[in-house]
Amino acid sequence: MKHNAMKILIVDDELPARSRLRNLVADLQAGEVVAEAGNGQQALTLCQQHQVDVVLLDIRMPGMDGVEAANHLKKLEHPPAVIFTTAYDEYALQAFDAHAIDYLLKPIRKERLQEALKKAGHLTQAQYAAIEEANKKVPQYISAHAQGGLKLINIEDVIYFYAEHKYVTVFHKDGQVLIEESLKSLEQKYQGGFIRIHRNALVAINQLQALERSNTGHFSLALKESEQKLDVSRRHLPFVRKLMKSLG
Amino acid sequence: MKATKEQCEALFLPNFCGMRMVFVIVIIAQLFAFVLALAPLSQPSDIRWQNLGLISLFVQWCALGTAATLCLVRPWLCRFTNTQTAILSYMIMLLVIGLISEVAFWLTPRLDLNLQHHWNFLLRNLLIGAIISGPVLRYFYVQHQWRRRIQAESEARLQALQSRIRPHFLFNSMNTIASLIRSQPEQAEMAVENLADLFRISLSDVRQRFTLQEELELCQRYLQIELLRLGDERLKVVWNTDALPDDALIPALTLQPLLENAIYHGIELLTEGGVIEISGQRNNKQIEISLKNPLAKSNSTTQHKGNQLAQENIRERLHTFFTRKADLSVIDKDNYYTVTLTFPYETQRHEDTDR
Repeated sequence: MKHNAMKILIVDDELPARSRLRNLVADLQAGEVVAEAGNGQQALTLCQQHQVDVVLLDIRMPGMDGVEAANHLKKLEHPPAVIFTTAYDEYALQAFDAHAIDYLLKPIRKERLQEALKKAGHLTQAQYAAIEEANKKVPQYISAHAQGGLKLINIEDVIYFYAEHKYVTVFHKDGQVLIEESLKSLEQKYQGGFIRIHRNALVAINQLQALERSNTGHFSLALKESEQKLDVSRRHLPFVRKLMKSLG
Repeated sequence: MKATKEQCEALFLPNFCGMRMVFVIVIIAQLFAFVLALAPLSQPSDIRWQNLGLISLFVQWCALGTAATLCLVRPWLCRFTNTQTAILSYMIMLLVIGLISEVAFWLTPRLDLNLQHHWNFLLRNLLIGAIISGPVLRYFYVQHQWRRRIQAESEARLQALQSRIRPHFLFNSMNTIASLIRSQPEQAEMAVENLADLFRISLSDVRQRFTLQEELELCQRYLQIELLRLGDERLKVVWNTDALPDDALIPALTLQPLLENAIYHGIELLTEGGVIEISGQRNNKQIEISLKNPLAKSNSTTQHKGNQLAQENIRERLHTFFTRKADLSVIDKDNYYTVTLTFPYETQRHEDTDR
């Protein structure tokens, strides 16, 4: 039986919380805890390494929190089932109740854990959308498929997003990747951190360097950490000017 | 059966035995005597002034006599309801006025008081007494109601302001304890004791005052619980509080919620954790305590909202406690959040000599 036991990943930033879950899983003989993580980023890496079946995922964690981690996890080739654990999280709990997402309240009861592990399933897109909204926190990472795995890019490392055909390219400090999210949704999500300068480009505000005018009368934008000059459309020009003036 | 202290406090009649009340009564009685002396239309002014002396004497006797009687029977009046007390004290006032009138009549037959008829004098006095006593009692009643309402309002406000320990902290601590019971039962025991101390104070009387030493000890207990949960890698605390006087008074649970904020909004959201710096200074009569914690970069906006509630609360309580001489200020700069409390140095002894 041992070789096909359920592979479990425990994700919680608190050591005592993790050891308690490990004890409970051992008591129930419900599966094998293959790894433990202290935040969302670690969880994603470990999930890919260990082909995890179930993730016991704390919501409130430093860095990438549980809700964001769950959202990235679903993009994996073999996404694990997610069971949220939380001590007290009003908004998230309301969303979970409304969408019948399984969650465990700390301190977790043995019987409840057993039940949850038995029916551990996958979240639907609607459920993800609902909890993401309830979380009221902007995702800190962009996730993209790269080299057969999931690559995470910290939003702070993004220089600009560029839309081409069906995809959006993320130009960041260490290169570029393709993602499927639309520029419009990115613009809404990261309001205040990025500015739209063209129908096809969304630029990090802290990357704005200088506005240049070519001899044909078109405007383009020079960026701090990229050689690439980006076109600024006539429609977006006044907004870009205003912002750059306010930044000094 | 003797009336209890609370019953007497609920009595709408003011305490006539106090110095202040006697003074107020003398003033009011004298003003009333002026009215009585000035009121008659056809009197030459020299007679008015003659009369004023006698009228004042008589009115003062009535007023002070009534007050003294009400002072004496107060413990007995406490037993009755407000309506009963009103009727009884009204009757007492008339009785005293009647008695003093009788005595005055027999003591001053030979003075030129224009006393034509014994009954006429008595009835007139009783009628004036009856007319004046009604509004006076009514005034006491209204004033009493008003005072009670003010008191109830400020108490309700304090209750609402009582800083609450976050549910988040309670359940996480429970979880920590549940985990430690197996592996480190002694640590679990200590955590339960600390948690009990914290909640006992959080659930206790809102007007409780603490010495700074007690509040700092409470903070230590709170930190011990959080240390079990977060570990000493993530949560580091530096204390620079040696300069603070141990006996300074402070409203209970003033520093602890600020510490809780620093952990909840700061340390907990940092992957690497961080250092909370608590420093205190005393400048003559003023005490200054500040808490500084690092912030996670991305989450600084949500942080402020949560912080503001607790801070407003503490500021209000400091103001209520120290009547405006205290303040709370915030500096949010370069991913560090600093809250500074300033309040006057007051001790138990100071307070006693003040009163």
